[in-house]
Amino acid sequence: MEQGGRDEIAARRSRAVKTAWVLALVAALIFITFILSGVLNS
Amino acid sequence: MSIEHTHGHEHDSHAAHDDHHDHKPTGFLNRWLYTTNHKDIGTLYLVFALLMFFTGGAMAMVIRAELFMPGLQLVEPDFFNQMTTMHALIMVFGAVMPAWVGFANWMIPMMIGAPDMALPRMNNWSFWILPFAFAMLLSTLLMDSGGPAAGWTLYPPLSLQGGQSFAFVVFAVHMMGISSIMGSINVIATILNMRAPGMTLLKMPLFVWTWLITAFLLIAVMPVLAGAVTMLLTDHFFGTSFFNAAGGGDPVMFQHIFWFFGHPEVYIMILPAFGVVSEILPTFSRKPLFGYTAMVYATASIAFLSFIVWAHHMFTVGMPLTGELYFMYATMLIAVPTGVKVFNWVSTMWQGSMTFETPMLFAIGFVVLFTIGGLSGLMLAITAADLQYHDTYFVVAHFHYVLVPGSVFALMAGAYYWLPKWTGHMYSEKWGKIHFWISAISVNILFFPQHYLGLAGMPRRIPDYSTQFADFNMISSIGGFIFGVSQLIFVGVIVHCVYKSRQVAAGRVWEGAKGLEWILPSPPPYHSFNTPPVIDSSTVAHAGEAH
Repeated sequence: MEQGGRDEIAARRSRAVKTAWVLALVAALIFITFILSGVLNS
Repeated sequence: MSIEHTHGHEHDSHAAHDDHHDHKPTGFLNRWLYTTNHKDIGTLYLVFALLMFFTGGAMAMVIRAELFMPGLQLVEPDFFNQMTTMHALIMVFGAVMPAWVGFANWMIPMMIGAPDMALPRMNNWSFWILPFAFAMLLSTLLMDSGGPAAGWTLYPPLSLQGGQSFAFVVFAVHMMGISSIMGSINVIATILNMRAPGMTLLKMPLFVWTWLITAFLLIAVMPVLAGAVTMLLTDHFFGTSFFNAAGGGDPVMFQHIFWFFGHPEVYIMILPAFGVVSEILPTFSRKPLFGYTAMVYATASIAFLSFIVWAHHMFTVGMPLTGELYFMYATMLIAVPTGVKVFNWVSTMWQGSMTFETPMLFAIGFVVLFTIGGLSGLMLAITAADLQYHDTYFVVAHFHYVLVPGSVFALMAGAYYWLPKWTGHMYSEKWGKIHFWISAISVNILFFPQHYLGLAGMPRRIPDYSTQFADFNMISSIGGFIFGVSQLIFVGVIVHCVYKSRQVAAGRVWEGAKGLEWILPSPPPYHSFNTPPVIDSSTVAHAGEAH
């Protein structure tokens, strides 16, 4: 495969990692929010 | 006849890929334990799901054997409750969900023209968490306090009365959740970032669309389940009172939180099934999918509505009349986008040049039988009626129609549809059809009488019952045994296809099939699409749509 193609795929993977971090953060926030809402209401 | 027998390694001119990079790792550990390849991980998921399907199925056989006749026959009541609980947990989290993740791993990169999933190492980790999670869950059956016995919903206070093994259950659920979230992150990151140039969102196959929406659902609701079971854990072992009324907690709150997770969970199991059926029906009808865009919007609508209907699972708990009315009407609203889907599937087949290979039989079986499950769901949505149906076998019949001839039939349809692509060999059409017909008949013998049992008042989750329910229970159990044993045919067909079949599959296995996966040879190279494929109307089903 050409170098250009590999660079393009590497750039896409880099964007994918950023997407993954954002999604993981959302999941963590939902978890923490639910726990905190329980703690604060108790 | 749609099978092309002649050319085993057909290369489409668009399928420019580097076969010289097609090096599989050598050695068992390298190939399977350390693999980062989407196809290998997909295979691991599918094999694991099949193992869990038979494990959960064996528990179902225990349940149906105990219920074969009135009276306590084979097992202690507490063990019976452990079986119903474990059967559900294993089928939901161990069989159906991992099977769909396996399909996603195998098919999404090939369908969007990507070389692999976006995050291959995390992909490996997502899978390898699962065997440990289920080993831990199953190990509770060997402990003094036994496995979980409060139902898969884990409602307190009953679930808090279990023994020390409850900690293992909670930790196993946490691990399953982490695995699902990581898998979903990978699916979204792959679809949003790794599509071939020209593969716009509204050119993606329906299976990819349904999985994209499913992955968002998973990320939204799995942390909710994790939060709920964490609070159960601290209530059980650390003296908190989130759900303990004696300490000022609210057990009904658990039900709200659980079903805020649990109802979208139902759609997590069924949306990919919609996707698979939307791939198969056009292929064997030799027509494009009717109303592609409407199908995408219907899927998104169903996903949205799944978040705002949770309390229809708990009408009997006592809630204000306005609440009951709201949840009743909101639930009924789901019938609209679901009706759009069923209408479009039927319209796709209408006046098509249909043939009835095994995947098509399972897909048609899905449309008919899932609709029966949908209609009984509408009956359950009626609050006043639900007060009678709640916790009866009518509910058991309803959700098993949605999940077995619904989700599981779609899994079977997808497996038969793509098995020649995955293995490079044709499966036995004769045995595939025998598998379908025995399954389709026995699944109705198994679950249809349960509607009558429920309407007559038989409660769920009991090992014994009044003699008035004896006949329908015996019929249901006979159907269950036939259905259970007939799934061994499926295993036989797969083993024969992988190891014995001499009938070589073409790249485009089915003449009516469109999509990027079919321009690759069968089996596809270890790394698919190192060079992005060309997207046009000859390769992609919806390339001609004006967007």
